[in-house]
Amino acid sequence: MIDNPKTGMTLIVKTITRLTIGLILLFGIYIIFHGHLSPGGGFAGGVIVALSFVHMMLAFGKDVAVTKISKNLASNLESIGALMFLSVALLGFLGGTFFMNVLAKGTPFRLFSAGTILLSNISIGIKVGVGLFAIFLALVVLERAKKEE
Amino acid sequence: MTLYLLCLALFCVGLYGVLRKRNLVKIIVGLGIMEYAMNLFFVLLGYRFHGRAPIEAQDQNILNMVDPLPQALVLTSIVIGLGVTALVISIAIRIYEKYGTFDITKIKRLKG
Repeated sequence: MIDNPKTGMTLIVKTITRLTIGLILLFGIYIIFHGHLSPGGGFAGGVIVALSFVHMMLAFGKDVAVTKISKNLASNLESIGALMFLSVALLGFLGGTFFMNVLAKGTPFRLFSAGTILLSNISIGIKVGVGLFAIFLALVVLERAKKEE
Repeated sequence: MTLYLLCLALFCVGLYGVLRKRNLVKIIVGLGIMEYAMNLFFVLLGYRFHGRAPIEAQDQNILNMVDPLPQALVLTSIVIGLGVTALVISIAIRIYEKYGTFDITKIKRLKG
């Protein structure tokens, strides 16, 4: 399905996409995981992760992208992201208040040094990444419904 | 002051696009330009010359920071702008589906 010349864009775009898509995804994950140390965080990293999937959809067509993340998986993951964020916030009640940091803080300026901020960033990244992809998927499906009429 | 006026000029470019253009896609682009002019204005309000990003760095004593509060507000504003843009685009696609055109002067008749 990937090498079908009838779907998606030209061979040049497909080859470049195949080379760069993993790097874009990895950069998004890096931004999410370093949200408490450098600029960025859950939202910005999630947008970059979503853009890698949008990139795949633009280059190879809708069907290939749906094989990676289907519509049901996207909506389920989006709900899981929101529930993860809520559970991280509710975990604070173990220490006393809402959003209280209950994990060990570690040494500053290390990757695992900020307690529950990293978990919050990861859940926001999942939510935003999959949600943005789902918005784009919905727009493409709308387009497809128009052509079939 | 000049920077704020330039922000106002950018906002007016977006307003011109919204008010004068007839293509729905161009109106949406104008909305986006207005939104980004507002975001730029908010960030500029908190800007301080020769200031650094408000982030703690290792082994450095940061004296002069820009104001982080407008930046946090603008991040929220960008998220809301994303939702608004997606909504407007989906409405535009629906309108194109129904009338076959993006020209707002040709979308006159109420079709059930």
